[in-house]
Amino acid sequence: MTEREREVQAMVADSAAVIERAAGDLALAEEPSGLLAALEDGASDD
Amino acid sequence: MTDWTLASVAEAIRTRRVSPVEVVRACLERIERLDATLRAFITVDREGALREAAGLEAEVMAGRLRGPLHGVPLAYKDLCFIRGLPTSCGTRTPEYFSDRDEATTVVRLRAAGAVTLGKLNMTELALGPFGENDHHGDAQNPWKPGHVAGGSSSGSGVAVAAGFVVGALGTDTGGSIRLPAACCGIVGLKPTYGRVSRAGVMPLSWSLDHIGPMTRTVRDAALMLAVIAGRDARDATTSHRSVPDYATVTARPPSPLIIGVPENYYFDRIDDEVAEAVDAAARVLASLGMKVEPLRVPDPEVMSSVANILARSESAAIHARVMRDRPHELQPQVRERIEPGFQISAFDYLQAARLRARLARGFIGEVFGAVDVVVAPTIPEPPPTLEEARRGTAAERIARMGRFSRLTRPFNGLGLPALSVPCGFSGDGRPIAFQLVGRPFAEATLLRLAHAYEEAAGWQTVLNGGPEMAPKPPPLGTGPA
Repeated sequence: MTEREREVQAMVADSAAVIERAAGDLALAEEPSGLLAALEDGASDD
Repeated sequence: MTDWTLASVAEAIRTRRVSPVEVVRACLERIERLDATLRAFITVDREGALREAAGLEAEVMAGRLRGPLHGVPLAYKDLCFIRGLPTSCGTRTPEYFSDRDEATTVVRLRAAGAVTLGKLNMTELALGPFGENDHHGDAQNPWKPGHVAGGSSSGSGVAVAAGFVVGALGTDTGGSIRLPAACCGIVGLKPTYGRVSRAGVMPLSWSLDHIGPMTRTVRDAALMLAVIAGRDARDATTSHRSVPDYATVTARPPSPLIIGVPENYYFDRIDDEVAEAVDAAARVLASLGMKVEPLRVPDPEVMSSVANILARSESAAIHARVMRDRPHELQPQVRERIEPGFQISAFDYLQAARLRARLARGFIGEVFGAVDVVVAPTIPEPPPTLEEARRGTAAERIARMGRFSRLTRPFNGLGLPALSVPCGFSGDGRPIAFQLVGRPFAEATLLRLAHAYEEAAGWQTVLNGGPEMAPKPPPLGTGPA
């Protein structure tokens, strides 16, 4: 494995670890399309 | 005419004080004189622009106006598909990208009367915040040649600041509208995710891409946004919400708002001159009747990791073919930014997408439960030299890119509207800017507040004087009437 490949692996592992810690208690209803709903629900009255 | 903005050019054409052909000729003359140095354009469509302008001139003379941008010269980042013009996406290959249909945003601007001057330089595949490009030349900062113009919509920033056009489109996946706007001393708006259609534009990350206007003034940004915003059947993520008359609401004085200035993350490790300029901008907002308060924001580092996972996975999927067939054509730092995406698991990608929705909902509830608008610096330091941006190994350069876009990136993950506005210069004359961030679909609030700031702060007078490489455009001649 090259130095660069090791760096890439470490970078991906770091980000994945942050996600894993933060996503531990996601509920079944929390799905990827939730962003659009969050934006519409939080919209301004402009 | 004493200035050279989208609004003033449109008005001069409407009232027949200048003709569309005269305006286009003046722009082409400036491009020919200065762009060999500044490198804003990849393709200048001289003949096409003059032909369009002649047609629009005949319509004016016949008493017909297509819309609010009749005869106004614009140009587009070279990842917008426009029939009859090549689309390189900043790569060496002129026709890297193709589509059956034109970019919806360009179609709408043309229908409103805009003239297309050409396609603008950009960081290769929109991957990078500095605007350097081995294939088409490094976009130069018009205020300080030898310094970065910001990226990835580098040519859009340069072309507007240098007076080559009065408005441009950029795209923003991690700051690529706001960073070049900040570096070039112009206004750049990343709208809410879903406010503006992305159809007909090279994707970098379906989840994080936004398209928006880059202009000299806030009012000009409002005029462009009013044309390009709204539902598009070709982009399923666009919102069904109605589009306000942004230009009219921008002119109204803002009602008193609570402005939050983050006390964590956004002022950490930033240049002293940037911090001072943004503090001064907050004081101007206070003088306009706004209540300015310190604010603790949810830690943006988690959202940054979410955005990294989404952007890397999606850009790897989007560019898998070029990475397989023609990797040698890409600059090393571009290849190295795409490569990690092939290593990310579907599990991590999906968890990131689910987490993003939760983080966005949490941020909106917590932050906009306490304040109306957030103010933060756009760039952590004034534009560095191109040599500094190019220094070091690919990994070191990528790390530097991450530091330069750390203040803009979180708002792509959150999908919130963010408007970058010039707020001064460093001691050696490099532009500085702040960003106003609002609730989803609060573009009108941001534009109104920024317009009031612009009027009160007086930077526009300096900015209209033009950068040293691009002195103020010559006064326009008398129109056909």
